[in-house]
Amino acid sequence: MTSWWRIQVRSARGIVRSSPLDLSTTLNAIVCVCSATMAMAQNSQPAPSQQPRITIGYVEMAGDPRHEPITAYGRLVLKNREHPFPGAQIGLDEAQALTRVLKTDFALERITVKSPAEVAGAVVRARDTNGVHFFIVDAPAEAFKPLAGAIKGRDILVFNATAADDGLRRDLCAAEFVHALPSLAMNMDGLMQYLVSRKWSNLLVLEGPATADAAMVKALESSVKKFGTRIVARQQFKPGTDPREREKNDPALLSAGSRDYDVVFVADSAFDFVRQVPYHTVRARPVVGSIDLEPVAWHWTWDHNGAPQVNTRFEKRTGGRHMEGPDWAAWIAVKMVVQATLRTRSADFEAQRKFILGEGSFDGNKGLAVSVRPWDHQLRQAVLLAAPYAVVASAPVEGFLHKTNDLDTLGDDQPETPCRLDK
Amino acid sequence: MRHLFFVLAVAAAVFAPAPSDAKNTGLIFVSNEKTNNLIVIDPKTYQVVKDIKVSRRPRDMHFNADHSLLYVACGDDDVIDVLDVAKLEVVGKLATGPSPETFALDGKRRRIYVSNEEGSSLSVIDIDQNIIVHEVPTGAEPEGVFISDDGKTLYVTSEVGDLVHMVDAEGGHVTQDVVVGTRPRRFAATPDGKELWVTTELSGEVYIIDRAKFAVMGKIEFRPPGMRKTDVTPVGLAMTKDGKTAYVTLGHAAHVAVVDVATRNVEGYILVGKRSWGITLSRDESKLFVANGFGDDITIIDAKTRKAIISVPVGRIPWGVAIDD
Repeated sequence: MTSWWRIQVRSARGIVRSSPLDLSTTLNAIVCVCSATMAMAQNSQPAPSQQPRITIGYVEMAGDPRHEPITAYGRLVLKNREHPFPGAQIGLDEAQALTRVLKTDFALERITVKSPAEVAGAVVRARDTNGVHFFIVDAPAEAFKPLAGAIKGRDILVFNATAADDGLRRDLCAAEFVHALPSLAMNMDGLMQYLVSRKWSNLLVLEGPATADAAMVKALESSVKKFGTRIVARQQFKPGTDPREREKNDPALLSAGSRDYDVVFVADSAFDFVRQVPYHTVRARPVVGSIDLEPVAWHWTWDHNGAPQVNTRFEKRTGGRHMEGPDWAAWIAVKMVVQATLRTRSADFEAQRKFILGEGSFDGNKGLAVSVRPWDHQLRQAVLLAAPYAVVASAPVEGFLHKTNDLDTLGDDQPETPCRLDK
Repeated sequence: MRHLFFVLAVAAAVFAPAPSDAKNTGLIFVSNEKTNNLIVIDPKTYQVVKDIKVSRRPRDMHFNADHSLLYVACGDDDVIDVLDVAKLEVVGKLATGPSPETFALDGKRRRIYVSNEEGSSLSVIDIDQNIIVHEVPTGAEPEGVFISDDGKTLYVTSEVGDLVHMVDAEGGHVTQDVVVGTRPRRFAATPDGKELWVTTELSGEVYIIDRAKFAVMGKIEFRPPGMRKTDVTPVGLAMTKDGKTAYVTLGHAAHVAVVDVATRNVEGYILVGKRSWGITLSRDESKLFVANGFGDDITIIDAKTRKAIISVPVGRIPWGVAIDD
C-alpha cells in the first residue's frame, strides 16, 4: 500500500507540473489521483520483496584512472569521464514495468575494489556468498586475465563494459565474457568505412607515446588493410614546447610532409596534444581519431532509433550528464539480462545464458538489433561516428555489406579471429 | 509568462468559438517532426496548399467526430495543438505529460488518452476542462494507443518493455499485460472485435492478440524482395473497414506489406520511401498515404492496383497523415 502511495504522489506532482493552471484545477487533479490510488490498491500485487530477484553485480575500481577527469593547464576540465554505473541504473529503471509481468525483481549490487587484481576475487565472492551470476565489469583490461582464470567453467557471465582492447577478444578469448563495448577493431573499421565512403583514403597518422595510442594505430593499420586505404606518412608526436623537438611537437611541422593526405588521424589517449591539431595542420584537412570525428558506441546527439528517449532518461538520472559509450554498454548489459528473463520466462541462469549467447537479439537503439558473436562473444552493434555536436554517420556505412549480417563488417569476423568459442 | 500562456490556451480551448463549417474538404494533413509544421495537400492536384506552424515535433493526429477540429500531439512542447480545420489555424492547446506521441480520442466522454513517450505514462485528458485528470503508469516509452468501440478498454504498447498493456479507461489502471516481440509500436483491430494487431519494430513482425483471452494467437513475418530480416522494421498499420486487408509499413525496408487478414498471408509488397512509418487509408479506401520519415515526402498509393501514384515532398521527417474526408 505504501509503495503505491509513493508512486501516486509522484504522479500527482507530475500532474501539477504539467498543467500549471490554478488551485482548483490542481485540487481537481489530486482528487482524481486519490480515486486512482484506491483502484490501483485493489489491483496491487504482493510486495516486491516476496518475488524472486535477479541481481547483477557491478564491479568497479576505486581511482580507476580511465574515469578520472581530463584536465588541462589552468584547471580546465576537458572531460569528466565518470563511471558508467548510471547506464546500468536506467536499464534497471526500464525493467520496472516488467517486474509485474515476470514476477521477478531486478537489482544491481555495486562492488568497488581497489585494484585490477581484486576484480576476480570480488566476482567469485559475490557468486559464492550472494548467488550473483551476472556481472558488469567496469575495469581496465589487465583485470580480465585473472578474472578469466578465476571463473572458468563456472555459472557466471561477465559483461565487459569499458575495455575495448582487441586482445581480450582474440587472445584471452574467455567463454564467460560478453564484450558489450565495441572493440578497438570495430571502432577503427567503422571510421574507415566512413572515410572510404567519402573517398578520403589517404591518411596521415600521428601517434602518441602511450601504449593505448600504439594499440589504436595497430587497429587502424588492420582497418587500412581491410578496406584498401593508405597511410601516406606516420609520425610519432611528443607533447611539449621544446624547440629542439619541434619536429615532434608542432602539428604544423608534423603535417608538412611532401605527400598529400585526405585526413589526419591522431591517436592520443591523453587528449592533450590532439586538441592542438585541428586548424594547425599545414594543409586544410579534417582530423579524425581522438578528436573531431571519433568512433564511439554512443553519443548524446544520436537522434534515430528512439535514442533521444534513452538520452533523456540518462540525463534525468545523472543531473544532465551526457550518455557515452561505456554507459551504453552497461545499459545494454542490464537489458540483455532482463530480456533473457522475459524471453525464456525463467530465472534459471543456464537458460538465460544460452539465450544471451545464442538466439537473443536486443534493441540497442542504434539501428540493427544487437546480438552476441558466437566466435568471440563480442556484441555486434553499430559504431557511431561522432563529431562534437552531431553524429556524422553510423557504421556499417551504407554500401558495406556482409553475407549474413552487415554488423559483421565491423571488427573481427569469424574467419578473422583466433578465438573459437563457437567450436 | 509560460503560466499566462497556458491560461490563455485553456481559455481558447474552453471558450473556442464554434468552428466554421467546411466538411469533407478531402485535404491531406501531414505532420512533420523536424520542421514543426503541418503540410496541407490538395486531394486532387496533390499540390501543397498550406503550411501551418504548430508546436514542436508534431506527430499523431486525430479529427473530432464532425471533422471540425484536428488534434495534433506535439512531442517537444508537451501539448496537443487543436487546429480549426476550416480556418487551417491552431485555435487551442491541451497540456499533456512529457513528450506526447500517439493518442486515442473518445468524443462521447470528451477524453483524450495520450502516451507520453518520456514519461512512461498514459495521460487521460478532459478535453473541455483542459486538465490531465489522471495518469496511468506504463512501461517505458509507451507509444501506440487504441481504444475499444465502447470506450471502456484501452491498449497501450511499451516500446522498451515489449509489452501491450490493457487499461481500464474508467478506472485508469493497467488490468493485464501481454508480452509481444521487441519494440511494439502501433495497433489495428479487426472489425469483429476479436483480433488486435500490433507491429513489433525490432523483431520485424506483427503480433496478433486474441482480445477475449488477451493472449498472443499468432504472428506475421515479412520479407520484401531483396531485403534481409534485419531491414524489416514494421511500424504503421491500417486495416480496411471490412477487415479483409491490412497494410503494414516496414520502416527501413521501404515497403508496405499487403496482408490478407483471414489467412494472414502477405499478398505483396509496395515500394515506398525510406523509413516509412505513418499510413492512412482514404475513407473510400481507394488510396493509401504513407509518410516516409527519411525521404521527407509522402507516397500516395492506389490501393486497387497496389502501385504508388506519386510522391509529394512535405516537411522534414514526416510522421503521419490525416485526411479530412
